[in-house]
Amino acid sequence: MFPLSEGADQMSFLKSSFLLFLVLFSASESTAEEDKVEKLNEEFKEALLLRPLPDRKVLAHFHFQSSAPPTRTYGRHHYIFPKSIYQLVHKFQVREMELSFTQGRWNYERWGGFDPISNSNAKPPGVELWADFDVPQDQVDDSWKNLTHALSGLFCASINFLEHSTSYSAPQWSFRSFSGKLRYGMLPREAVCTENLTPWLKLLPCRDKAGLSSLLDRPSIYRGYYHSQRLHLKSDEFDTSKMSTGIVLEQTLTVVLQPNTFSGKISQPSWSLSSLFGRKVSGKCSLSNSSNVVTLYSIYHFPKRVIKGVENLQKKGSILYEFPVEDYDESEPFDLELRWKVPVVWSCEQTPLRASRFLLGSGNERGAIAISMKSTKSNNVERVCSDEKECWLKVGIFQVVPWYVKVYYHTLELFLDGEPQSTIHSIEKIRVSPSEDKLNIESVEAMENEAVVSVIHLIFLSGLSLRPNLANIGGKGPILSSALHPKWAIAQELRAHSSAGFLHIDEYPSDANQGFDIPSAVVHFADFQSNMSFDDNFSTKVPILSKLQEKTPVLSYTEVLLVPLTTPDFSMPYNVITITCTVFALYFGSLLNALRRRVGEEERLLRGKAKKTGPLTLMLSKLFAKLRGKPWEPPKTPSSSSSPKSSINYKLVAKVALVACIAAAWQYYFQ
Amino acid sequence: MDAATTPSPSATAEISGAAPTSASENRKTELEFDPETMRKTKPGLKRFALTLTVLLSFLLGLPFLLKSVEIYRSPLPFREIDVLSAAVESNPLHFPCKFRAVFVDKGGLSFTANELSISIESHMRKLAAKDSTSCGACSYNPTVSVALESGSNCFHSDNDFKWKCGSVNELNKYGNSGEYDDELFDDYLKSLLDDNGSLKNGGKVYTVIVVRRAKEENVIAVVGKYRHAWIVGRISEEQAAKKVAEVFVKAFVNGGKEEGSITGEFMPVGADGRVVLSFNLLNADPRDWTYDWDFQEIDDNILAPITEALKPLADIRVESQVLYHTPKSSFSYWDDKLDSYIFTTNDLPFFVNSNEWHLDTSVAAGGRSKILHFVVYVPSATECPLLLQLPNGEISTTNGFISPMWGSVVVWNPSACFKDSKMETHVRHKISPEDLRKLFEVFIGQLRQLFGLKSKGLFADASGTLRLLTSDRGFTEWELDVLSRQHTCFNLLQCATTLGSLSRLVQSLPRMIIKDEIGKQVKYSLEAAKLALSNVSSGVYDASAVSSRQARSFAEDAFYHPSMMSVSYYSFEHCFAVYSPFFLPVSLHVLLAVLREWKRYKLESRKYNAWKAKKM
Repeated sequence: MFPLSEGADQMSFLKSSFLLFLVLFSASESTAEEDKVEKLNEEFKEALLLRPLPDRKVLAHFHFQSSAPPTRTYGRHHYIFPKSIYQLVHKFQVREMELSFTQGRWNYERWGGFDPISNSNAKPPGVELWADFDVPQDQVDDSWKNLTHALSGLFCASINFLEHSTSYSAPQWSFRSFSGKLRYGMLPREAVCTENLTPWLKLLPCRDKAGLSSLLDRPSIYRGYYHSQRLHLKSDEFDTSKMSTGIVLEQTLTVVLQPNTFSGKISQPSWSLSSLFGRKVSGKCSLSNSSNVVTLYSIYHFPKRVIKGVENLQKKGSILYEFPVEDYDESEPFDLELRWKVPVVWSCEQTPLRASRFLLGSGNERGAIAISMKSTKSNNVERVCSDEKECWLKVGIFQVVPWYVKVYYHTLELFLDGEPQSTIHSIEKIRVSPSEDKLNIESVEAMENEAVVSVIHLIFLSGLSLRPNLANIGGKGPILSSALHPKWAIAQELRAHSSAGFLHIDEYPSDANQGFDIPSAVVHFADFQSNMSFDDNFSTKVPILSKLQEKTPVLSYTEVLLVPLTTPDFSMPYNVITITCTVFALYFGSLLNALRRRVGEEERLLRGKAKKTGPLTLMLSKLFAKLRGKPWEPPKTPSSSSSPKSSINYKLVAKVALVACIAAAWQYYFQ
Repeated sequence: MDAATTPSPSATAEISGAAPTSASENRKTELEFDPETMRKTKPGLKRFALTLTVLLSFLLGLPFLLKSVEIYRSPLPFREIDVLSAAVESNPLHFPCKFRAVFVDKGGLSFTANELSISIESHMRKLAAKDSTSCGACSYNPTVSVALESGSNCFHSDNDFKWKCGSVNELNKYGNSGEYDDELFDDYLKSLLDDNGSLKNGGKVYTVIVVRRAKEENVIAVVGKYRHAWIVGRISEEQAAKKVAEVFVKAFVNGGKEEGSITGEFMPVGADGRVVLSFNLLNADPRDWTYDWDFQEIDDNILAPITEALKPLADIRVESQVLYHTPKSSFSYWDDKLDSYIFTTNDLPFFVNSNEWHLDTSVAAGGRSKILHFVVYVPSATECPLLLQLPNGEISTTNGFISPMWGSVVVWNPSACFKDSKMETHVRHKISPEDLRKLFEVFIGQLRQLFGLKSKGLFADASGTLRLLTSDRGFTEWELDVLSRQHTCFNLLQCATTLGSLSRLVQSLPRMIIKDEIGKQVKYSLEAAKLALSNVSSGVYDASAVSSRQARSFAEDAFYHPSMMSVSYYSFEHCFAVYSPFFLPVSLHVLLAVLREWKRYKLESRKYNAWKAKKM
């Protein structure tokens, strides 16, 4: 760490009368001129973007990009590009692929959802994989299955569960419009840990031995609030056109960390690289073409005029600093420290609507799934509908529902501020690929061929009626008269009734009582595209900045929904078999006995027995007589004693029945 | 059940024996009648027939039940598998090989062609008796055809063998002009032998040409790249015959192996007949220097001919990668005398750092294919130059080692560490083409060793040395013959063992589901094995190697079929547990009923007989 006085950069802004802040950096900047690389060569670039978040946390975004020129001109040997990824692309003819492992949930409200970083790096929990293939249409599913197996081997994860038709789908137009050779799958319950990070790091030429990736100290990364490692590759190896660029592999790791400092008075904590990660950067990875640390402050709620005066700023009010790590080495490691002198409050840019999804109703039959979208106080909507009196937003929803949750599409309802709207009027396009029920399963093979995922593709126009206040809840008629301080009173809800299907005993997962996860819905705001704009000399130097300048569609994910399904007692089939068989056997046996019974002979035998009573019965009858206090009588002939004996029998039966009743009642009440 | 429900209640009214009241009267009237031991009426068969019907209907229904709970099992040819295993395991495979020898002598020869032939054969038998166990050897009733050329005379021991006499005079030309070159002479002999039309029967004929010349002192024995060898020099006929037999047995049959070399059993070929040669360039510390290689050129020029040559043995693919930050895990020490860092053979087990060297990142090598790793280790500046010291104190010339079935490692010291000059870091250097060629020559030698062949071109022997010419394809033709023979033999053995264990497994688990696919694979495997065996007997090495590979691959596929691996086979205990709650009590009832009725019928009929006897 450098002394604070050296090379410190001081800035101060005066917002209104009460907010004042000062950013202080302690790091020396230097701009090493990079070697000019030839046009056609492998490249590896690394960058780290640091960004303080409004809720005292810090976002660290590692970005590694490797690229390989096309095989046709460059050949098959690579010295930087990972061999396994190259082989993967060629074996399965992948045109584009994205794989993300995420732990924790991205907090859209606090950490933002509109800027490119959160847009492409906020991922649903678990594993998300989509891939676009360059194979004939009928081979896409096979390629997908093989790819999932290869990836699960490569990343030590159970991605191979995505090969089941219950877990992937083929989105047509709403998710990312493609040729129909795209497959999309999600595993919401996949746990992500170091064993997934290590193979991910193996794809980097320096792994975590040198360069920015040496900051990846496992305990400090996994202590964070959000952790998402992503791998995105794009290849045009199979295009015949000459302008192909080869394969570009982009690996990002996004973590949200809580800096542990004891700055009680100041609202924002001060932090440094060594306090966040416990390590410093000892030089760049010797194979990287560029290696930078970038800090970015997006403070949108400051007046623009104040920021305009500062040099390294972009139009929308972000401050950006870039530090090349090239000139540092082990004797002089790079560290970056940020200190807040004055408390500052800001908020991140929000998505136009905040989507969340939940269950309604009760039980297995009368349930409903609802997606609610609430307006955020974002000024993005203002841009879209600033001059119109009534504003409509285009929102696309892509939802995969496994077949065991049956959604009744005729019950699809749309509510705007609690009032039902006509779905025909509001929904522009809907495409439902219904799941097929698997109740009549003939064989295992037939099961796999069925499409068992129901997919809702939905683009609807959500009415954003701009109203002066919240109390005035009406239709979409009310119109904003003055555009000065609009408040959005939008609570939009999309509801569809659902019920849980019956599963075959084999189809329950191993921990069935936990419930079933419905993957996150993807909400796509078609009217918006997010990007950042910087000065040109910046973006050419740092690859991550050119990435941020690309226009990306605004996406957000809802939460994973846990649907409890009634799980049977798995030993029940056997119990049923046993009890049914026992009943049958009893019936059968008694019937057979009745058939071969000789009533007359038995009676004769009984009589014969009664005549010569044994000594034991004599003694017993004497004992009974003594107990009763009556004189003992020698046994009479069977004909005379038949009537009292039967009465005793009745009494005995009554006693036994009474005891049984008491026992049953006891059992019933005390359990 | 229907048998049980048909009898009407009136049937139960049948009473055997008379009414009790009449019995006392009868006692008075007929004193001789005892109701305990005799009866007047014939015992009825109704109940006995009924219970028997129920039992019989159960027994009749049993086959239907068993059929309905039957598990599908594809019929496997167990007998054929046993026949194959017996055929392969009982007597080791022997290939028919053809040998011939040519004796050229200006002077006269004291032996006839037939005598020489018999002499060579007896020598060969003696040599072969030492190692007759090796798999894939030639059959040891060799027929050696001999051609004699002495002066202008020409003798043949065999009519098939047409040797053009006087053609080797060319050799003298080479010898006289001083341009004698083994390679040239080899090619010349090749063309000569091809002209003689020896390609008729598969071309797998091994020839040794002995040229006796009194002028030369020393004896040169050279084994060529093709299927012939020659011995030139002053040598007696008896010695020559012995030498010829040695060349035949030790080189052409056994592939010039030494004691302790890798046997065919450990041939590094995957179960599916594939090998992936993975070449890795490891830069121990890229902060000191980073090296790259021009692998594309090496692949095209050096490796492609080798993969082509080994095609009958294995489907070989080549891939390459460059890795960084890969220190070795053993220690080395500084030696002042040698002015370098030394690691000894004792360190070799710890040299490969499996934590940091992530070599096995191949996605292409799926299934059961074998990956051989070839590693070029570029040491970091702190341990450079790094040399391997042999146990006898010498420094290894190749600076590398092999690990059987895994691959090999070669340490390459960059020129920078000798110069003591500070290199510019962060710049990618390329290994110079000469260095790269040397490295890959070492790799080819190591590959030969991994396949069980000699890496050196000299073969020391009790009676002098034997020079082996090397091919630019890495493997000479006769070596490939040896390899394919061994490979065929080993594959067939493996196939027979796998199929044998499959049949034992299937027979030991009678309730395991066997899919049709497995049956088909077993069938194909057997067919391929039979084809390989027939090819072996007709001496077609390449075809037998290919079909034996298929046989093994199919057998392994069948054995490792996913449905075989699954635990979800329907065990007999399971079946018993499901059906016993019904069948156990019911069968007890039915059996007991039949037994009782049968006993009773016997008893009652005895009573009736007693009464009848009394009445008579």
